[in-house]
Amino acid sequence: MNRVYVTAIVKDVPAEEYSRYIPPMKARRMGKLQKRALVTALKAMEVSGIGEPDAILNGTAMGCMENTVQMLNGLAAEGEAMNMPTCFMQSTHNTVASMIAIYTKNHGYNTTYSHRTVSFELALQDAFLRLRTGRLRTALVCANDELTELQLQYPTFFGQLEVRDRSEAWMLSVEPGEHPIYEIENVRVIHQKGMEDRAEIIKITL
Amino acid sequence: MRPKVVITGMGVVSALGVGAEANVAALMNGISGIREARYLPTEHREFPVGEVPVSNEELLQTLRLPSGRLYSRTHLLGVAALRESLAQAKLLDYKGLALISGTTVGGMDVTEHLYPEPLPMGMPDVHDCGASTNDIADCCGDFDFTSTVSTACSSAMNALIMGKLLIESGERDVVVAGGSEALSLFHLNGFKSLMILDRERCRPFDQNRAGLNLGEGAAYLVLESEESALQRGVKILAVLSGVGNACDAHHQTASSEDGEGAYLAMTQAIADAGVSPSDIGYVNAHGTGTPNNDASESTALRRMFGEKLPPVSSTKSYTGHTTSASGSIEAVFCLLAMRNGFLPYQSEYQNLDEQCVVPVSGKECPRADLRHVMCNAFGFGGNDSSIILSRYE
Repeated sequence: MNRVYVTAIVKDVPAEEYSRYIPPMKARRMGKLQKRALVTALKAMEVSGIGEPDAILNGTAMGCMENTVQMLNGLAAEGEAMNMPTCFMQSTHNTVASMIAIYTKNHGYNTTYSHRTVSFELALQDAFLRLRTGRLRTALVCANDELTELQLQYPTFFGQLEVRDRSEAWMLSVEPGEHPIYEIENVRVIHQKGMEDRAEIIKITL
Repeated sequence: MRPKVVITGMGVVSALGVGAEANVAALMNGISGIREARYLPTEHREFPVGEVPVSNEELLQTLRLPSGRLYSRTHLLGVAALRESLAQAKLLDYKGLALISGTTVGGMDVTEHLYPEPLPMGMPDVHDCGASTNDIADCCGDFDFTSTVSTACSSAMNALIMGKLLIESGERDVVVAGGSEALSLFHLNGFKSLMILDRERCRPFDQNRAGLNLGEGAAYLVLESEESALQRGVKILAVLSGVGNACDAHHQTASSEDGEGAYLAMTQAIADAGVSPSDIGYVNAHGTGTPNNDASESTALRRMFGEKLPPVSSTKSYTGHTTSASGSIEAVFCLLAMRNGFLPYQSEYQNLDEQCVVPVSGKECPRADLRHVMCNAFGFGGNDSSIILSRYE
């Protein structure tokens, strides 16, 4: 059994730093969440010194809401005459994890969890088990959600789920590296009928 | 030693009907379920769909679900398939089950119907993917772990892959995995926008293929450690012997010309199963019927198998592309093909395309003794996955 370390945690890189990671020409074509997600992931690769992780995983409670809402608005306004290929293409929940892979040409294990408030922890559990059992040596695990105007205005529009507007990227490795943040002992996710799902990341402080 | 992951239950709902027996009968008789929409309230009658031939009201009744709340169709289809799989594995009263379900649409059919009005006050959440998984689980049994994979059209297959990992790493003895996805206007008009919907029944690998038909359905497989299955004394249907997941890393919706992601996923699955390519007796291809997918997948298959290509077919000409649920629906078809000893065949295939593999076709259901079969599922973003199912011996 390998030990599993968190070697970098990067959260919500401010917009002023974006141009350090992606050329403005490319950034202009991306949505708000896509940009922030990609830059956060690239910075985690830089900080950890792991530019080619063996896997890219993402957790997202609601997926790419900006594009989803635009599609719904299109349907409401134009009915089935609507025609929004780009929006549709970028509305699927796996847009972010695959975009990071496409941008960094990473053919490794790639997956996305979309399970309410524990989406990130499920991605972390998947990566943790693969590292612990020797299937992978490094993994980038992200959390990405965006809040649209609509959700800010009507918080229960899509239900009662509380969504945090955030982009996080954690680098996991079986090697502690020079400055490990902590070691993961286990990740537990619990479902109980009638309650919100819960998760616990069991850490070993180094 | 990694524990062997066996399959002890399966359940399926598709355009071919509700339940494994309805589905296998249609597959063996070459009867497609693709036709004009009956329940999806779409204006686009020109695009046939693979719609489950039962209304929401009928599903509510036969599943004996309480009225007075909102149900998404993804939820209803999921309950039908999950209950069938749990019943076969004798797990309906089991305490502490785990469910991993794949979906992208989730409760979108409900949302788009109400939009732009918010959900009625006091109604449970039904929109998001996780809500549909939890609703499916809580209508079927006692679950203490639920998870939702959302990698577009490979979602259900990636759920199976995660289920295998949970068992092999000793975290769980039993995991039910698969996916559920209903037709929605959101999805139909999204695919229409991409101009990849065929106005006729889809024709995977055919030179005249012109796109996919959107489908819907649900399927779940009960995965279990061999030890647990033997201890419980339940019948072992097959082994989930190998899995592979790789990213094509090429384009958000198009597959690469050389099929790199698909090739890598298949290579990993074969290595994981500990078999060689010549052991594979049948490949259930992703085969959507779009010019791009079928050419790219054919290239990957030729790279993988060389001159000794096993029989290949796509069952999407029967069910349409059931998107997030396709990985588990087609895995069930593979299990049925192994059980009943036949090759799913494309009875409407006609025109050879040099770029593509030649699928199993004809008017008669070919018999086959299958020991190892491969099943592929590829998604937007190049999320490519492949699994190997093997006879239990």
